Amino acid sequence: MKPFDYIQAPSITDACIAAAEHSPAKFLAGGTDLLIELRRGNGNYPRSVVDISFLHELRGIEATPDGLIRIGPLTTHSELSSSALLRKNASFLSSAASTIGSPQIRNRGTVGGNVMNSAACADTVPPLIALGASVTLQSVEGRRTITLSDFFIGPYKNIARGDELLTSISFSPLPSVCRSSFVKLGRRNALSISRLSVAAVLGYDRDGRIADARIVPGSAFPVWRRAREAEQMLLGEEPSDKLFTAAGKRVSEAMVSYTGRRWSTEYKEAVITILVRRALEMCGRG
Amino acid sequence: MTRVTVKTTINHRKYELAPDPNQTLLDILREELGLTGTKRGCEIGQCGACTVLIDGRAANSCLVLAPQIDGKEILTVEGLASDGRLHPLQESFMDHDAVHCGFCTPGMLMSAKDLLDHAPHPSEEEIRVGISGNLCRCTGYVQIVDAIHDAAERLGKKERIEN
Repeated sequence: MKPFDYIQAPSITDACIAAAEHSPAKFLAGGTDLLIELRRGNGNYPRSVVDISFLHELRGIEATPDGLIRIGPLTTHSELSSSALLRKNASFLSSAASTIGSPQIRNRGTVGGNVMNSAACADTVPPLIALGASVTLQSVEGRRTITLSDFFIGPYKNIARGDELLTSISFSPLPSVCRSSFVKLGRRNALSISRLSVAAVLGYDRDGRIADARIVPGSAFPVWRRAREAEQMLLGEEPSDKLFTAAGKRVSEAMVSYTGRRWSTEYKEAVITILVRRALEMCGRG
Repeated sequence: MTRVTVKTTINHRKYELAPDPNQTLLDILREELGLTGTKRGCEIGQCGACTVLIDGRAANSCLVLAPQIDGKEILTVEGLASDGRLHPLQESFMDHDAVHCGFCTPGMLMSAKDLLDHAPHPSEEEIRVGISGNLCRCTGYVQIVDAIHDAAERLGKKERIEN
């Protein structure tokens, strides 16, 4: 690893000051992406590494007094997987976190790192987009809160400046009438990177018709988005295999229209149809 | 690049270290402290050969910067045995021939320790998930899974006797 200045930040404010004064800086949280990058040593090698891993105030999952769920960015994937609060209010986020990497990676890797690294295969992102989550960024210039769907601008690209620190992720809990699911296709079972994934939410009215539908595929679009085309066709309908398959096809068509035809399209367009159907089936009433 | 001071506990012994900040925990264990039981494998967090426990949880020591262990408790394979006796996991790995070339073994043992510390009666599926971050190219995993299962029973028995 090439040399860099190491700064251990004792507070959020100190971390922001250090990142501004020692630019270009990288924030170090779980290190499961950053250390690989540093060891590779190419690209924009940072002048300094600002270690935020000791900031306990950035850790933990809580229900806020205004009815939101707030996740500290240093919360690990293991903590997301085992959180009773998340299992109750956004279970697909727990499920997604439990599919990331290996136990060792889940014990260190953080949800904030997953969001900020902004890989198209980041598994916590599809559920967070489906939840309508917002992120709060802080720097010496102040604080701003942005919805996650406006945050990403491309693979590994987001609108945060290098000196902005992610300090909070928050969203409204899913209504109790909703069921959520996350399905993922990797090349193997363990330590697998999503080739495709789908986060889905379905809510039902009293007559058993679909009143809330959210579908967010991962590794499918250049920038994450809800598959509104498919969501629309589910609303007001009774759940059925035929409907879920049709919705899957609609997502597949949307994927091809956004990405164009590439070497992997022939495979992906068939598989995403089935993954969407499975994800919706898992949100069946039960 | 200035050296940083790190106070840490490794295998129940306190250390005050002054690593370069671009050294990893793995570098410190192997190069500075001579604890070569922890193996250097892929160095990208895929193979699990460098697995140690940090505050009781399994982690790839190749992905941890040395300054990050300040105030933490580290356990490596060298710290598994106590009072001159092997840990039940080590005994059952030997009894089940769960070691062939041995390169993955220290990491396997540490992942298994994390698993049994948090789930004392794991199912076969839980054991397989527990060691899913550790690659072994010799055994085919069957003996390793058997060994962990057996170690769980031995530890359970030991606990019953002690109580």
